[in-house]
Amino acid sequence: MSLPTDFGPDSGGRMKGVCIVKPIVYGNVARYFGKKREEDGHTHQWTVYVKPYNNEDMSAYVKKVHFKLHESYANQNRIVVKPPYEISETGWGNLKLLLKYIFMILMKDQKYQFQPGFYNSVTMYHILKLFHSGGTQDIGMEQGKGLVSESYDEIVFQDPTQLMHHLLTNTKQLTLGRWEHNTNFEERKEKTLKSIVDAKQKIRGEIAALKNKLKLAKETISTFKEEIAKSQDNQFVM
Amino acid sequence: MADVRDIMELERPPTPEITRETILGDKSKKRSSAGQKVPKRPEGMHREVFALLYNDNKDAPPLFPSDTIDVPSYTDIEYQQHLKCEGWTKEETDHLMDLAHKFDLRFIIMADRYDTEKFPKRSVEDIKERYYKICGVLAKLNGEKRIYTYDADHERRRKEQLKKIIEEEQFLLGELKKIEARKKERERKTQDLQKLISQADNQNETPRKTDKKLPKKKIANPSRPSRIDTNHILQAVESAGIKFPDYKNSGVSLRSQRMKLPANVGQKKSKGIEQILQEMGLELNPTPTEDICQHFNELRSDMVLLMELKTALGTCEYELQSLRHQYEALNPGKTLAIPPQLLSNAETETKVSTGEIIDVVGSPETPSNT
Repeated sequence: MSLPTDFGPDSGGRMKGVCIVKPIVYGNVARYFGKKREEDGHTHQWTVYVKPYNNEDMSAYVKKVHFKLHESYANQNRIVVKPPYEISETGWGNLKLLLKYIFMILMKDQKYQFQPGFYNSVTMYHILKLFHSGGTQDIGMEQGKGLVSESYDEIVFQDPTQLMHHLLTNTKQLTLGRWEHNTNFEERKEKTLKSIVDAKQKIRGEIAALKNKLKLAKETISTFKEEIAKSQDNQFVM
Repeated sequence: MADVRDIMELERPPTPEITRETILGDKSKKRSSAGQKVPKRPEGMHREVFALLYNDNKDAPPLFPSDTIDVPSYTDIEYQQHLKCEGWTKEETDHLMDLAHKFDLRFIIMADRYDTEKFPKRSVEDIKERYYKICGVLAKLNGEKRIYTYDADHERRRKEQLKKIIEEEQFLLGELKKIEARKKERERKTQDLQKLISQADNQNETPRKTDKKLPKKKIANPSRPSRIDTNHILQAVESAGIKFPDYKNSGVSLRSQRMKLPANVGQKKSKGIEQILQEMGLELNPTPTEDICQHFNELRSDMVLLMELKTALGTCEYELQSLRHQYEALNPGKTLAIPPQLLSNAETETKVSTGEIIDVVGSPETPSNT
């Protein structure tokens, strides 16, 4: 990787007000062997992965991806330094054992690496899915592909250093072909946004209605109080 | 003081000489004057009781003019013939008469001093009953026509009633305290409510502004979402709902992190949000894009406000009801009309609204879960 010489590790500090967003997709695919394997009783093969949402080479700004597997695996800490960022393993799923995975993406942002309070890593949690749980989340159960469970997230770089900014904005394409995901996130985003906005409208409407009702209640309370005060006066007169 | 006077060369007032005579004289004077007034402590009276009775009013006539009260006496034969009574032995009756003589018919003191080791515990009424019966029998024997009879049952009932009245009084006092506490609580809630309403007013105005602004901004500089972030935060501060933290720290973070509820949102609130989200068929963790994040956070903030308003309305309804009861109590036969919109509407309203929501979500264009 060739960098212009004026981007030393300390050059320029942070670029205030600049915000770069890198969407990513992470999750797992799982495939059932069809039968229990003789040697260890494993039934599934799975792959956990982190990949960019857009077609770009993440290794430009990602130093390494740290996969922390379930304790039952030998050397549970796996580190991948170049794409594709993925780990393949086999496991037994007959106990419906859900395995947790932690991804830690370390950034190539040397400057603040050892300073607390400046994060140069992000951590995500993913629960390995080997079975269809009946929810609508599992998609892509097509022949050969196996089960896919993946999530979308965005890494937000707020005020990156100049070096990091350079790395983030000058990325190469990962492949020349089409870059596709198992899940249609665009559609999902649209739908989610729509439903949330609708819900918000609904709640706002309810709030307005409630507010009016509250006002009415307040007024009624005050009139009631007046009535009571009046009748109390009358009683004293009597 | 004396030193100061010395220095200022002021004349010193003559110190009164303390001699044996002054001390003794004072004392003897006091003693003699006191000795004249303080009556003799009657036999059997406790020192404390005596001090209490005679401390303030030394001129009070002696409480026990023992010569005026004539406690009747009886002989063994008389007792055997006329005074036998079930539940009373001769010894106990003697003890009673002894006490009567000793305390000059102060029955309360007699009951107090009653020898409960030898004899069973007797109430004031028991003692009186027995005593006056004896008196009556003896008077009859002496040929007197007018006999004083003591109605012990009546007396007992009277005391029972008194006790009940006192109990009732105390109960009423307790209730009064409770009512006053509730009243204060309600007043406090009313103030909170006032605040809430004004907040809701503000909040209902701000979205309109931002809704207008947002699309423009999006077109103007889609690559700079930081400003919209501040916008959202400002709005969050203005609203009564959740205050999501500011993510302006330099460095790397995940978008999904911003949808986490802040730690100051309590268990109850977050549970309520979860419930409403589920009722509306929304995901608990939607796909985190910038827009979704912002709207989702606003939505949950509104939900909290909605829940608070609902509770406030509940309080109002309760107050209305209690005010109406108060009015009805003051004006029997008359009542106050609570507006129909406010009458037990909380449940029906929400049912209707959730029904609508489910309808919307269930319609083909909006997927319940993607």
